[in-house]
Amino acid sequence: MSYTPIQLLENWILRQASDAGQEWLDAQRQAVAQGDMKALYMGFGFAPRKVGKADLQLTERDLNDAAEAREGWMPHTWTIDQAARVLLLTSLPSEDDAAYFATIEKLFQTAEIREQICLYQALQLLPHQELFDDRLAEGIRTNIKSVFESIAHNNPLPMELMQEPAWNQMVLKALFIGAALDPIEGLDRRVNPELARMLIDFAHERRAAKRPIPVELWRVAAPFADEIALEDMRALYASGEQLEQSAIALALVSSASDEADVILKTHPEIAARAERGEITWRAIAEEAY
Amino acid sequence: MKFIDPHIHVTSRTTDDYEAMAAAGVAAIIEPAFWLGQPRTNVGSFQDYFSSLVGFEKFRAAQFGIRHYCTIGLNSKEANNEALAEQVMEIMPLFLAKENVVAVGEIGFDDMTALEEKYLRLQLEMAKEVNLPVLIHTPHRNKKQGTYRSMDIIEEHEIPPHLVVIDHNNEETCEEVLRRGYWAAFTIYPKTKMGNERMVEVVKKYGPERIIVDSSADWGVSDPLAVPKTGNLMLERGIPQEHVELTCYKNALAAYGQSGQFEESDWLDPEPIDQRTLFEGNSVLRGGQTPRVDDKQEDDRIIQ
Repeated sequence: MSYTPIQLLENWILRQASDAGQEWLDAQRQAVAQGDMKALYMGFGFAPRKVGKADLQLTERDLNDAAEAREGWMPHTWTIDQAARVLLLTSLPSEDDAAYFATIEKLFQTAEIREQICLYQALQLLPHQELFDDRLAEGIRTNIKSVFESIAHNNPLPMELMQEPAWNQMVLKALFIGAALDPIEGLDRRVNPELARMLIDFAHERRAAKRPIPVELWRVAAPFADEIALEDMRALYASGEQLEQSAIALALVSSASDEADVILKTHPEIAARAERGEITWRAIAEEAY
Repeated sequence: MKFIDPHIHVTSRTTDDYEAMAAAGVAAIIEPAFWLGQPRTNVGSFQDYFSSLVGFEKFRAAQFGIRHYCTIGLNSKEANNEALAEQVMEIMPLFLAKENVVAVGEIGFDDMTALEEKYLRLQLEMAKEVNLPVLIHTPHRNKKQGTYRSMDIIEEHEIPPHLVVIDHNNEETCEEVLRRGYWAAFTIYPKTKMGNERMVEVVKKYGPERIIVDSSADWGVSDPLAVPKTGNLMLERGIPQEHVELTCYKNALAAYGQSGQFEESDWLDPEPIDQRTLFEGNSVLRGGQTPRVDDKQEDDRIIQ
């Protein structure tokens, strides 16, 4: 049987929270449901003190249930206070979308770091998500990496809501601040020529500064690689480090152009491993960060 | 020796100060909500200021190996703008429950007006509601009367003295503050509140119990190393190390630890100060900047 996200969150909290924490949360949710703003504001802040800050202990099955309840929902990094906070938010009356938006924005504007992380992850389960595309674009301007990652990583909303300029900024900024690309949902689906051009320019800048080029860049740049980009890839494939060679092989295998084949033939053994699926972007990302 | 500076306005200090504080042994700091030197004209300024205390400043301090906590409150000077004060009181519930908030403060008197008293009382009630300690600012002018009046009001509201830190004491006020059972804090601030040679004499006279040393360093001419400098001076002038530890570390921990949000374990096993590893995954570095790594000799002529 399938569950709603709210039911899943309730079950997970029931498994892990104390009776006192549970009772507190129930009382706060009732007050919030009746429109008590102070209960929402204070309850949101007090949640870690009442239910703890432990990681949610989720099984493979829980994660599958989550993905079934809300496509793209990946709560494997969530904590129990985060779950409690999201339940408080889902208790808030939402018929009046302007008032609802203003209340959630107020929480964003006054949130500390862990609360921001929670709110950006929570949006995917809240009503009126479509109102928050500017909020997401604003969120990726942060210079706090963990907040950036709460939007960019394991979150289906950027893929679903972000306009192309914001999406492209998010991917480029991830490379700038050393955040992995692989956990970005919809990464391959939303590749576009403008993004590829930005990444290729970035790669050139890095080469000019004699700094390393993030290996995941080629995954996004390769589908639109121009002559210069192919030249960069040819050079790195010939003499780069092993991780760079693996990434370029994988990028070129999926681009399937004649030029790509010519480059791949210079290291046929690496190309063969990429073709057999022995190299994956996930493994590359894990090794790179 | 490790130090706590339980009253410092680091939002107006530089990263050089953070580096010097960490090098001098300051492990944790508390930043009380304060005014900005000029009056704020709207509630949005308060909201952003409070947000920075619970958010960015905590993050920035962590980049230098210092644990940052804060107190939230409407300061006495700005309590005199009633329309604004009302709006500030409305947004305070959004901040009092944040994780690094260890007290309601700094609140109290400046001019000792009726409005200052009104908002002091309202905030004392708020502190009771959220079960947090209170940090009291005592006035520069008419200090003795202002200090005694603050304590009278706290007693009317039935807040036990062990939950209250009375700050900016001097030789004239501390005896009564200690006698009534409060934590007595002293601000080592050049030329005005208290010098550290005087502080040594106060500790010699009254002993270390319930006495707390802080710097209050802010945008004025002040010293973010006031607590370690005073601690070291105490040692030089023959005060036992355990008394220095009480006045420059343990008493603040005990007083603000009553919030449940201020624990030694937060900083006793710190992340190594190595910006390559980042602190909680965060960085203050901008693209291309070289991470600071303490044990590496770098050529300081080169800017990479």
